[in-house]
Amino acid sequence: MALAALGLLVLGVVLAEPASRGFSKARWTRRDPVGALLVWQAIGLAGGLSLVGCGVVYGLSPLGDSLPAAVGTLVREWNEGRWPARFDAVHLIAALASVGVGARLLWVLGTMYVRTVRARRRHRDLLDVLATPWPDSPGTRVLDHPQPVAYCLPGRSSRLVVSAGVLEALEPEEVWAVLAHERSHLRERHDLVVLPFVAWGATAPFVRGMECAQVAVAELIEMRADDVAACKSEPHELVGALKTVGGSAPAAALSSFTDALEARIERISSHPRPLPWAARIGVRVCAVALVAVPTVLLLL
Amino acid sequence: MEVLWAATGDLTAREVQESLADRELATTTVLTVLGRLERKQLVVRTRDGRAHHYRPTASREDHVAELMNDALDGAPDRGAALARFLGSIPSEERRKLRDLLD
Repeated sequence: MALAALGLLVLGVVLAEPASRGFSKARWTRRDPVGALLVWQAIGLAGGLSLVGCGVVYGLSPLGDSLPAAVGTLVREWNEGRWPARFDAVHLIAALASVGVGARLLWVLGTMYVRTVRARRRHRDLLDVLATPWPDSPGTRVLDHPQPVAYCLPGRSSRLVVSAGVLEALEPEEVWAVLAHERSHLRERHDLVVLPFVAWGATAPFVRGMECAQVAVAELIEMRADDVAACKSEPHELVGALKTVGGSAPAAALSSFTDALEARIERISSHPRPLPWAARIGVRVCAVALVAVPTVLLLL
Repeated sequence: MEVLWAATGDLTAREVQESLADRELATTTVLTVLGRLERKQLVVRTRDGRAHHYRPTASREDHVAELMNDALDGAPDRGAALARFLGSIPSEERRKLRDLLD
């Protein structure tokens, strides 16, 4: 069991730092954003399981050959009113520290979710009073502001918003492309896809790999939404919309922003060949295997 | 809400109802809507003797500015509250952006 704990620790550290950093630089992900997002979720889940699990497994290792057996021993001896003698201070501290990290992560995730829901409700209340429904597209609202901006408010009661500036600056076909992009964010609940990585980033902001993961996942959901939008409209319409809205956004003054924008435009125009189906299946199998390894190590 | 924004000062529920006279709303309807707006912190109510006066918490322009701020400030740590057409901006870059805008 001590060996399993060591394995979990190594796996957790590798996933949180070099693996995340390396994977965020991979180039094939732009050819299969959905597969890449699955791998990211697997990295997040497996990393969390490993880092929280390693201390618990090490802490309980003197009590049995596997985690279920050790927990059984602990409960049995506790019920008999005895403190297991082999369960010394070092092991106890290791177990408690791990549980602490796990609780902290869940707490951050929970508070973040509550804060998000509150911010959204406030935003939605204001929208419902201020924005007027757009007759051309049901479910879309127009906010009267000259700055072109398009966004959606995810959640059970979602809203799609375009500013008057967007309707002013874009051709109708381009507006449709933008709406298709936003609808795909809403339909596939991309807000939930990014949430765990935002929580990891907030729990351990000092780990550079977490920041890389957060940025990479944010880029991938945009690629995915671009793919859906490009399917439903002409790619050049989407590119036109990106150029107009991106060029007038205040963030256009930042080089990183324009770089990201150009990368997206380049990707839509050149339309990279999707990965061959065998590779796509391989990616998904890898994602499942990644979660399976720490699960097996925990239970064995 | 439009009536309150158009008014120069505070209004009572009765005054709101009178300015919407062409819609023939019942007093209770007006009160319900005002209560809802109050809960959503869009209006504040002050008591003056027996009458309740309602006043918007901010102008229409201020509220639109707040929405646009939310929409343009691509902070991922603002909890993925919005998904924007242009994606979000990493934190250190956002600080630079804020300096540029100020």
